[in-house]
Amino acid sequence: MDLSFFADPVFLVQNLVDGLSRGALYGVFAMGFTLIFGVLDILNLAHAATFMWCAFAGWFVMAAGGLPLPLGLAAAMLAGAAIALVLELLAFRPLRREGADKLSSMISSIGASLIMVSVAEAAFGVQTRRFPDKVLDPKPFFIGGSGGVRISRAQILILAASIVLMVGLGLFIRRTRMGKAIRAVAANQKAARLLGIDVNGVIVVTFLVAGALAGAAGILVALLTNNIVPGMGGQIELRGLAVVILGGMGNIEGAVVGGFLLGLVETLTIAYLPGGSDIKDAIAFLILFLILLVKPNGIMGRGKAERA
Amino acid sequence: MSEARRRASPYIVAALIVAADAYLCIKNPQDLDRLLINAMLALSAFATLHARLLSLASAGFAAIGAYASAILAVKLGLPVYLSIPAAALVCGLVALVIGLPVLRLKDVYLAICTLGFGEIVRVSIILLPGLTGGSTGANLSTGFAYEAMKKTKTWTLALALAFLCYLFWAASRSRAGRALRAIRENSEAAETMGIDVVAYKNMAFLASALIAGLAGAFYAHSVGSLDNGDFKFNRAVDILGYAVLGGSGAWFGPTLGAGFLTALPILLRDLLGSAIGFLKNFAQLPNILNGLALMLVIIFAPGGIAALFARAPVRGAFLSVPPPLAPAAGITDKVGVADKAGVAEAPARRAGAEGKPFLSLKGVSRSFGGVEALAQVSFDLEEGKIYGLIGPNGAGKTTLINLVSGLMPPSSGKIEWLGREIQGRRAHRIARSGIARSYQNIQLFGEMSALENVIVGRHTHMRSGLAAAWLRLPSQKREEAEAREEAMGLLSRLALGSIAGQEASKLSYGDQRRVEIARALAMRPRLLLLDEPAAGMNEIETAALGDFILELQGHGVTILVVEHHMDLIMKICDEIVVLNFGRKIAEGPPQAVARDEAVLEAYLGRA
Repeated sequence: MDLSFFADPVFLVQNLVDGLSRGALYGVFAMGFTLIFGVLDILNLAHAATFMWCAFAGWFVMAAGGLPLPLGLAAAMLAGAAIALVLELLAFRPLRREGADKLSSMISSIGASLIMVSVAEAAFGVQTRRFPDKVLDPKPFFIGGSGGVRISRAQILILAASIVLMVGLGLFIRRTRMGKAIRAVAANQKAARLLGIDVNGVIVVTFLVAGALAGAAGILVALLTNNIVPGMGGQIELRGLAVVILGGMGNIEGAVVGGFLLGLVETLTIAYLPGGSDIKDAIAFLILFLILLVKPNGIMGRGKAERA
Repeated sequence: MSEARRRASPYIVAALIVAADAYLCIKNPQDLDRLLINAMLALSAFATLHARLLSLASAGFAAIGAYASAILAVKLGLPVYLSIPAAALVCGLVALVIGLPVLRLKDVYLAICTLGFGEIVRVSIILLPGLTGGSTGANLSTGFAYEAMKKTKTWTLALALAFLCYLFWAASRSRAGRALRAIRENSEAAETMGIDVVAYKNMAFLASALIAGLAGAFYAHSVGSLDNGDFKFNRAVDILGYAVLGGSGAWFGPTLGAGFLTALPILLRDLLGSAIGFLKNFAQLPNILNGLALMLVIIFAPGGIAALFARAPVRGAFLSVPPPLAPAAGITDKVGVADKAGVAEAPARRAGAEGKPFLSLKGVSRSFGGVEALAQVSFDLEEGKIYGLIGPNGAGKTTLINLVSGLMPPSSGKIEWLGREIQGRRAHRIARSGIARSYQNIQLFGEMSALENVIVGRHTHMRSGLAAAWLRLPSQKREEAEAREEAMGLLSRLALGSIAGQEASKLSYGDQRRVEIARALAMRPRLLLLDEPAAGMNEIETAALGDFILELQGHGVTILVVEHHMDLIMKICDEIVVLNFGRKIAEGPPQAVARDEAVLEAYLGRA
């Protein structure tokens, strides 16, 4: 058995690059998840279905419509925002109006997710959709010659886009008036309403932002894997949940850090652990369960796990 | 809608579902097994929903049950009918491992954990090809065909389902069933009634896993081959759909929900297929219907089908204004069943802590984020006295009650009760040790009757377990009758006898407050914490409440009362503790406190 790859620095750097770009995707996806949870205290289990529909939207614009990449990105994010808005209006707001509990919202979002995935299956069939090469040149760059570290254009795009989105969301939440209103609603809806904040308006904005993040994640994953199918949301949903718990429910910085961590752990496990690729689907759950056992508030320690 | 039609409608719905299922089974007899298994799976999801838990683990447990029983029967040669319960037990063990850590956290963590659990089960099946047949190729689907498989008879499956339904029916009429309903309506209040909420949730999760395992095992022996795709995530959502549509309120809900959703797509295809062509080959139809059912039911009819059968509300209960209390009668209805239901037999147990203070707070602090709601508060309570806890709004009075009753731990300091430190103990244990409370913002079990609310207060003093309920032992029935009588007596004492059967949420504000006090007294507490009991009462009612509290003291109950009605406080209290901005600023007999400089300043400001 050849174990020399353990000592190979190129192999290690290669895996770090792959892990970070994978983790960036998890982070972008999980930010939307955790944003909704932080503000509304509900889990939007249709987030992954939104993600999938946005990948299709981006594909239609770029592959079928022949439009360039920036427009495809924008279309996916717009589609995500629009879908999230519809979800808020049809699946969540009616329940809030009735004063229903959080459980009902989760169940409603599960129903919505099932409908969205089933309609996609009926509309798009099971065959895989791929991007033509002109959308994004699949030829990777090599750092350090042809035997060196390989990095694809999709990976560069992912790392750049995710950093822009992460920093952008951080600034939006911390520095803008609307961000302040979102934080106020997250802290105490009733008090925010008494202070004259339009709570429903703030919640709509929250959904728009979370949906746009799902859209970005959708199109970026589609570009990386070049494999667009109705079932693609299931793959990332559990990972997104693991990341959200890892970072602490409702904690945006935590989702970013957790995303990168999960991406790295997954990639390195596959690379260095014998049989690692067999268990890669289970890693997210193992992390999730361990965190729940040991540190339910997440690694950043600011979640809201304990009973009130 | 006329009354007769309203009464008949649920039965018509049920009859239509049965007719649709009959059509299904006549057309294809094998569908009867499928129907019964779906109903059993729905019952498994019901077990968790009934306890206000969202679990998506039923499909995963069914997979474990199916593979475990197949392996036991085929590879280890166990008789089929032994392998089925054995497989259910395997599921039970797994449920304990998952449930114990997760069910202590907020509910959403169980939902997340069970989502991942299904994935783990699927991966494990694929990773153990020696045992399960694993997967062939990338599509992850393969058979676990076993030639030697003896099939189960359909009637055994039907019998098992009927038996499970009986267990749920009997449990729903017992102490445990009442506790579960209380948890569903208000788990925090249930905890302070001495109900171990986490234990009940673990029990519900365990029951759900056992039933799902049973259903899975029957599935394996009904179909005769297994595939890891049989239990994928969509299946978990199907099962949730059955249970939600059926409703989480009554034991027959899941069977009706499963019956409806199993038959509907086939019925639609057969009836409308000729008119609407694409329905014929519309593979996604069941899933879309299921998703729609989930959303529509949860938004427009959260009680599901079972709610149609619920007892009609007392006519006009919304509008009836309770008659004003006659001044002479006051609150204590002395003519009532009164003293038989001794409010305070508890002090008979007065023992132990001789010489030690009854309740003692030592340097207790509690902060929320950066705000210190209570800072270094210390005082002692002696047994048998009435204490007033007063202070301006935001002084930390309710926080103090929450700390003593165990709803939250203090940030620092000690709370000694009967000589033992109780800070950080869970609320149900504190409740059991003899501390009861009422709430500033009323926390009744809204959909239960006033009487049932008070009976919940008897929870810790009742002994009957599930086994007694299932066997319908006479001792259990006797205990139920006694609890009922005692609760009735308490309600009468508080002049609530006439509204005992009404839904708590529909009572007037003042009545709700008194039901809460009756519920707390049903616990036979040694220490009663009353958080603004007179809020919303008029002068006459307040005075009568004061008399009642004094009467309780006569029975030996120690009372700590938070109140803004100073007349009441001055009249009934032996000692007063004054808080301001989380600090104790005065303590002593009413007259002394009323003259205290610091108190006057806190209330009136310095001139």
